Amino acid sequence: MKATLVITNHNGRELLGKSVPAALEAARRAGGHPVVVADDASTDDSAAFVRGTYPEARVLELPKGGFGAACNAAVAEAETEAAVLLNNDVVVAPDFLESLLTALARPDVFAVGCKFVNPDGSLTDALGNRTSGRWEGGLLYIHHETRAEELTEMCPQLYANGGGMALRREKWAALGGFDPLYRPLYWEDVDLGYRAWGRGWRVLYEPASVVVHDQGSTMRRLHRPAGIELMSAKNAILFAWKNLLEPRLFRRVALAQARWAADDVLIGGLPNRTAALWRALRQLREAGRGRAEEQRERERSDEEILALAAGDA
Amino acid sequence: MGRERDGAVLLTFARRGEEEAIREALRHLRSELPGRQVAAVGTLVSAPVLRELGAEEVIVYGGGAGARAVVRELRGRAPAAVGIVYGGPGFSGHLKLELVALASAAGRIYQFLEDTRARRVGRGRLLASVCGKLARVPLCLAVGAAACGTALCWLRLRQLMAGGKRAGRA
Repeated sequence: MKATLVITNHNGRELLGKSVPAALEAARRAGGHPVVVADDASTDDSAAFVRGTYPEARVLELPKGGFGAACNAAVAEAETEAAVLLNNDVVVAPDFLESLLTALARPDVFAVGCKFVNPDGSLTDALGNRTSGRWEGGLLYIHHETRAEELTEMCPQLYANGGGMALRREKWAALGGFDPLYRPLYWEDVDLGYRAWGRGWRVLYEPASVVVHDQGSTMRRLHRPAGIELMSAKNAILFAWKNLLEPRLFRRVALAQARWAADDVLIGGLPNRTAALWRALRQLREAGRGRAEEQRERERSDEEILALAAGDA
Repeated sequence: MGRERDGAVLLTFARRGEEEAIREALRHLRSELPGRQVAAVGTLVSAPVLRELGAEEVIVYGGGAGARAVVRELRGRAPAAVGIVYGGPGFSGHLKLELVALASAAGRIYQFLEDTRARRVGRGRLLASVCGKLARVPLCLAVGAAACGTALCWLRLRQLMAGGKRAGRA
């Protein structure tokens, strides 16, 4: 199976100096696969740098549209059966591609996620290693496996992290790719995986496919800045509004979210739920359209999706 | 005669991007209380980073230790000063930190606001701010319930009208 390796980038010229040559080497070792840098309107000369330094990589210069839009455009332009999405700060192992594409070849599989490690080989705590989820208080809570001994064999997972995943383009097109509802970023990959399971497909985790995600200095272990928390909280609400179809669980959303406005004043802090709620309300019609489509296309219940993704069914 | 107060404690949510504000607040507390220990309250995640930023000790919140445990710990220490680091504008949070500061029995309370220098605040003034925020709770609850209720009813209606492969579930 041929795959196009897509590296999404926004003002990451320094990072591309490591990620592009690693992707080119992996693509060459696996028998030759195209590598594309999807540049989301960088202003730091990223495109010229890639063209000048790595002529074998194609550069797709895109208008500013955010992470999801850049991925959608690059996957739409690809001419291969599969695509591999990579963040610009992800450096792939030379042999990461073979196992990823072997897992993807199963007919009911939509996507396969990589194993994300730190430069020292330990598991990252920020990206998705074997993801699962549970509905609680009106929101989907995501769990990432952090015990290396639990990640030795290929297994199902809720979603493949958009920073390192392979996907079948035909199924991607049927799902409509990343939903712009979540612009500028966060939760689009969770939404995609959840909808894929809902359509009757599977999402897998392949620990043999290793990519290095350098999370940088210790400072980055701090909690996320308030603006990012707000964006992520807004998208978590939209995710529930769009995807949670079971009436019994959805009633809990109503109760929980009404309480948030008060919680925000009482507890405060991380994140500001009232502000997130108001921002989500501005996208209510869009979320409603997505919900109607999910209702038409869904073949599995919310509980079935989470159970299957956790390997419990 | 009351026991002698010692040291200072910094209260912060420790969001990424607040490193400089935390470092500056720790520096300020240290200059106010030379030679005394400056601790911080943090989570398991932020604790090592707070230490790197200059906190001599971190009182860990979460992972089994709730807000009450933190307050008990602070009251036991009876710090000479407590500082609160505030995040960006538009975030009403910090009520939790303000309540902890009030409950800590600290001698002095400092607020470290964005783009401003440290401000010493009296307990009465902080209490008034806390009461004002608490008074907003019923209003927020009513407005939130009305907005969410309307939105969720509309979403449910869209779902019911869509039919679909498993419409019987709806």
